[in-house]
Amino acid sequence: MKRIYKNAIYLALPCLLVTSACEDFLDINDNPNNPTEASVSGLLVNSTFETAQNTYRLGSITSNYLQYLASPNQGSSSDIMDEVSHDNTWLNMYNAMTDLSVMIEQAESNGASHYQGAGQILQALHLGMMVDVWGDVPYSEAFNFETLTPAYDDDQALYTEVLSLLDAGISNLSSETTISMGNDDFIYGGDVDKWIKFGNMLKARYLNHLSKTAAYNPTEILAAVDQGFEGNEDDAQVVYFEEEFNPWANVAINNADLVLGGWISEQFIQATDGTTFGVVDPRLPYMVGATDDGEYVGTVNGAGRGNAPAAGARSTLVTGDFYSSEQSPVLIATYAEQKFIEAEAAFTVDKERSYQAYLAGIRAHMRKLGVAQEAIDAYINNPLVSMGMADFTIDDIFREKYVAMFLHPEAWVDARRYDYQYEGFTLPENANSALGGEFIRRLAYPDSEVSRNGRNVPDVSLTDRIWWDE
Amino acid sequence: MRRIFTAFAIIMAVFHFMEAHAQERTISGRVISAEDNTGLPGVNILIKGTSEGTVTDTEGKFRLSVPDQNAVLVFSFVGFETQEVQPQNRAVINITLRPDYTEMAQVVVTSFGIEQEKKSLGYAVQELGSEEITKTKQQNVVSALQGQVAGVQVTNAGGAPGQSARIIIRGVNSLDPSADNQPLFVVDGVPIDNSTIEDSDRTPRGLSNRAADINPNDIESMTVLKGAAATALYGVRAANGAVIITTKKGRAGAVRVNINSTVGFEEVNRYPRIQEVYGQGFSGQYNPNDFWPSWGAPIAAVADTVPGYQFENNWEDAMNTGRQIDNSVSVSGGNENATFYGSFSRLDQKGIIPFSEWDRSTAKLSGDIKISDQFNFSGSVNYINSGGNRVPHDRFMERMVYWAATQDVTDYINPDGTMKTYGNTNPIYDARFSTFQDDVNRVIGNLMLNYKPTEWLSFTYRVGTDYYSDSRTEITPGPMGIDGELPLSSIGFIRETRINSRDLNSNLFMTLNNEFSEKFRTTLRVGNDIFERDYERVDAYGENFVIPNFYDLSYASQISNSQDKRKRRLVGLYGDLMLDYDNFLFLNVTGRNDWSSTLPEANNSFFYPSVNLGFVFSEAFDFPRFLSFGKLRASWAKVGKDTDPHLLGATYAASDVYPLNGQVGFSRVSRFGDPELKPEETYSVEFGTNLQFLSNRLGVDFTWYKSNSRNQIIPVPISDATGYSVYITNAGEIENRGIELMLTGSPIRSSDFSWDITVNLSNNNNTVVNIREGIDEIVVGSQFGYVGSTVTMKLVEGEPYGNIYGSSYQRYYPDGTPENLTHLDADRPLVIGANGFPIRNGNQLILGNAIPKWFGGVRNTLNYKGLDFSFLVDFRADVEQYNQYDNFFSAFGIAEYTLARNETRVFNGVTAEGSPNTQEVWLGQGVGPDGVDYGAGYYRNHYRSVSENFVHDASFIKLRNISLGYNLQPGLLDATPFRSARIAVTANNIILYTPWDGFDPESFSAGAGGNAVGFTGLGYPGVRSLLFTLNLGF
Repeated sequence: MKRIYKNAIYLALPCLLVTSACEDFLDINDNPNNPTEASVSGLLVNSTFETAQNTYRLGSITSNYLQYLASPNQGSSSDIMDEVSHDNTWLNMYNAMTDLSVMIEQAESNGASHYQGAGQILQALHLGMMVDVWGDVPYSEAFNFETLTPAYDDDQALYTEVLSLLDAGISNLSSETTISMGNDDFIYGGDVDKWIKFGNMLKARYLNHLSKTAAYNPTEILAAVDQGFEGNEDDAQVVYFEEEFNPWANVAINNADLVLGGWISEQFIQATDGTTFGVVDPRLPYMVGATDDGEYVGTVNGAGRGNAPAAGARSTLVTGDFYSSEQSPVLIATYAEQKFIEAEAAFTVDKERSYQAYLAGIRAHMRKLGVAQEAIDAYINNPLVSMGMADFTIDDIFREKYVAMFLHPEAWVDARRYDYQYEGFTLPENANSALGGEFIRRLAYPDSEVSRNGRNVPDVSLTDRIWWDE
Repeated sequence: MRRIFTAFAIIMAVFHFMEAHAQERTISGRVISAEDNTGLPGVNILIKGTSEGTVTDTEGKFRLSVPDQNAVLVFSFVGFETQEVQPQNRAVINITLRPDYTEMAQVVVTSFGIEQEKKSLGYAVQELGSEEITKTKQQNVVSALQGQVAGVQVTNAGGAPGQSARIIIRGVNSLDPSADNQPLFVVDGVPIDNSTIEDSDRTPRGLSNRAADINPNDIESMTVLKGAAATALYGVRAANGAVIITTKKGRAGAVRVNINSTVGFEEVNRYPRIQEVYGQGFSGQYNPNDFWPSWGAPIAAVADTVPGYQFENNWEDAMNTGRQIDNSVSVSGGNENATFYGSFSRLDQKGIIPFSEWDRSTAKLSGDIKISDQFNFSGSVNYINSGGNRVPHDRFMERMVYWAATQDVTDYINPDGTMKTYGNTNPIYDARFSTFQDDVNRVIGNLMLNYKPTEWLSFTYRVGTDYYSDSRTEITPGPMGIDGELPLSSIGFIRETRINSRDLNSNLFMTLNNEFSEKFRTTLRVGNDIFERDYERVDAYGENFVIPNFYDLSYASQISNSQDKRKRRLVGLYGDLMLDYDNFLFLNVTGRNDWSSTLPEANNSFFYPSVNLGFVFSEAFDFPRFLSFGKLRASWAKVGKDTDPHLLGATYAASDVYPLNGQVGFSRVSRFGDPELKPEETYSVEFGTNLQFLSNRLGVDFTWYKSNSRNQIIPVPISDATGYSVYITNAGEIENRGIELMLTGSPIRSSDFSWDITVNLSNNNNTVVNIREGIDEIVVGSQFGYVGSTVTMKLVEGEPYGNIYGSSYQRYYPDGTPENLTHLDADRPLVIGANGFPIRNGNQLILGNAIPKWFGGVRNTLNYKGLDFSFLVDFRADVEQYNQYDNFFSAFGIAEYTLARNETRVFNGVTAEGSPNTQEVWLGQGVGPDGVDYGAGYYRNHYRSVSENFVHDASFIKLRNISLGYNLQPGLLDATPFRSARIAVTANNIILYTPWDGFDPESFSAGAGGNAVGFTGLGYPGVRSLLFTLNLGF
């Protein structure tokens, strides 16, 4: 009532002459819906959440290339390695990096060094993920609206930035802070020691990416591993919520609703059901759903489902499984992954350590999924898995890491470093002919960049390699 | 009866006798209107050559003394032909005044409800009377304008009850894909809200544009102000033109009651061509549980072994006959000092898609009080309740596509309430249970005070409000917990939306009239205008019902909320000077300064002028008799424009996923509003002429216009790496130019029979003059097509608005395909690949343009005694649209042309080297007769992936409206208790002529508020209707 009265007065007094009154009258443009500032705490909430979301988003692109997943539709561009414009993922990555850069800056001026350090670690992770799929990307002119058309930085130079961000992050997390993280941290609930281990684990990950380059330094990687995760309880992950389901669960729910998606590739099924390697992996039922007949049947990438009905005849992601339940975690970086990094790095310098790390990696992943101890032991004791140090090869590491990295975008870095040499791994049907019989090596720059920042976008093809892949 | 009449005649004769003996004779009588045979109050009666005379009373009666038998009486009234009568020795004179249809006498309502002589205007306006509005029986006032006004393009978004209609005057003026390019709607001098709030990120629901709340029966006239000159005085909000609605008012005299009843029926006016030969399955295999609706075995072959297996006429069976019942009653009357008008109406409409319905109830009261000669006062209140169940029409039609041709779609529910299905979701079940109810309560009211202290000075104050609440509830049920059911959603959800919007308008102006000499008159108007819109929307969304079939937010286990508040204020100061020299030369200069709350303080004040000139040369010089009227017009105007509220600077927002675990996360909003934002400017020029020939029986009105909108405030898409994705700034220019032609003719005009023709024709050409350095294109919208056939509407420098981009067949260029090719050259030969099929070109080329270059209409009206017959034909030409239905129909083997699925063909075209193609290929699925595996077949592997196949000519000619009515003639009426009675039958859209294959090409999925008009989507099909109307007056 009072408001009506107030407005009536405004209207009854046409400000014909009194311009100062007009100024007040018109001074209502401050946004009532959104604040003009955000706290570091609010930014951390969103940044930790979005880190998990972005891991999922990239994973949903790379999982078809890795043939974890296959499209139910024939010749689907996600399967056949067509050029696809991933505008939304690019946008989400830059949104997260923008927020992180605001958070880092704000935390620095507040003396909130733990927030600053966590921000730097997540920024390093995002930048690393960007470079690993796109190569050169804008960074030095990014985030602060300095220019409408930010320049692209060299991918190798950006790797230096990733590592220095991680170092800076670890150091800031180790210093005094004015504000402490807590429940606003969806990854570790404010446990700074775990953040420091996470920073070291990521150092190991990004250093290990250099395996094809002259800069590869196993000792440095093993040093980082030594300060990294000490068990599954250190895993960097976001457990999803009552109010917001795990994004893979949503894929499974939609698929059950006949909005098809999350179909499992025949390649993955055969890699785990004994067809390819002769050993049945007990993890399979924890990872993917069975058909109506209780079997695990994959879909051939690029071939589509053919005559198969929309439901019940093929394996898909289903709720109830480890990766695709409503409150499942999205794994960002795991102890299991770190063990396989250790195995790979130690392979040439300390093969015993390498072999033990390989077996520990398998065990860690199986425990993560909740596989029973007897089943774990049975699998580990299978001579095809525990082949002994002498017969143990780098192929075994990549084979097992492939299973342990299910749906994770990091697996695509492995696949390219390994040149897709997984046993039985073939090009999809109807593969994009522009690739000339090769596997895809990077993502195309999104249309949004080409149309908005075209002059700076590097001219690349899908078979051009990221610097560490050359 | 007869006796009474005789007695009356005797009394009259006595009076006659008495009067004849008076020295100065007294003459009495009544003046009635030829329009409706009712008394005309306020008619001027003057004894010719003197200044003596009188004015008729509220019932049109008069009494006047005349000096002698030779006196001549002149009866004149605005809007009617003047009549001279010599009473001689008659004492009673009854006069019937005929309406004057010539431009000279016409009065039109322009800015702020000011009535102006049409003759004096230097710009084009066009007016529709109540009859032209209600004759078409369109329940949406916007649709009622369709085909009737030059330069005005009206498109019905679809055939759903209450569904929005889009109106664009002289082309799209904004580069902003989300801009509302529609004109301002003004009712009795007060602007009202005409927004269409459709949630673009969810399935379309066919919601209403808010002007649809107005009961067309309450409207007296509608004037369309097209150019910037015409709308300069309404300021920024009328930058796209204005539609000025004047509602009916009471008249002094006896109380009149009008009753209007209409019953109507409607059905789909056009279906796509579909095949009826092949049934459910894939690769020609019969499979009654398959997802694939029509790639199976021939139905006839299967029917031999499967009894009852047949083609179901699902498309027609799924659609109902729509029906509407519309009743309204109005009461009006008053005396010299006070008049009133009141009305009630109720409309119930059920649409052709099952469970789609809309209703509208209105109540209106307006009154006018003349307190003294200096002071009068008027006001009106209009209450509206409208809303209904809005079926998800795109999803309904999509599910119709998936539903097998051999399964009866109307058999959709099991006795336990679960869906009856062979596997796919039944569209009718979804339409019934996925409900979306909107309930709008709205009050539009205004008050006007008029104070005229002296002859040359008056003050007018008008204040108005338009308040509505729109309460929306959307429910999709989850599982019922019955074994084997296929639920519509695995968890179910409820969304409660509450929208409150309030407009306040205040307008105070002073009018000064000065007659410098008999030949030179001026009117100056100075005023102040204030506008405020206060908008708030709250959404609450709950998922996962804990009790099946109990839909309440409290019983949903996942809840999220969002809120949106907006407030905008505008203050304007304006002046309007009109100079009239000797009634043939008219100059009008206006100036306005606006202050907007939406712009940065330093730039929030902006001034814009206009000037227009009308020259009635037929009065300045002598012309041959066949030219009865001639006028030239010219105008130049600038209009400023502000932007939406709360856009400036950078903000942070919590996404609606929060709170999670009690935490709320923030992210920087990816939109950044230029803190230096300036107002937009539109410059327009217009030249026109109006010529009337042969005593106004033939008229021509021609207008040429050009408008340029500069410094457009647009959301420029920028690299996400900048930290923002959208930069709202001043950038770009768009130009519209075109012509409008109106022809009016009255081939026959006699006392019993008349025939009038009105023709209007418009052409509009649009160019995006520039966007901004470094920005190549702006995407207005895109629509899905299978396997890379998605089409996009983009704005590109040098190209017109509305271009549709998509994939095409590769064309043969002997010297190689030129670089920077933008347009598809469909005349060139196709390049056929080594596999024998045409090669697809994924580069996005311009395949067509969705804005019609030519449109218009022809109305014929014939009157013979009490019978009237009229028809309106309208057309649009040179327009293309993306036919999403066709894309789906090819993908699912439904289109008629997929009957060729078992044929062998040599595609017409050339090989990459340019030699004619000779390779034979099979169009079917699987292994062909030649032993080659063709996989999913030609239509799925090739045809559906090429946008070019689905961008079609969407021109049409429509018999928009045909109506036949009969007015009971006075002789018969006398035997009834009625003052007037009319019965009429009307049919709409009964003839549609178009090259388009599909439902009515007029439908599009974006809704009136959306600019992506080139996409039909799987929209609500257009309808044809038949309506019966009865009007009674007491």
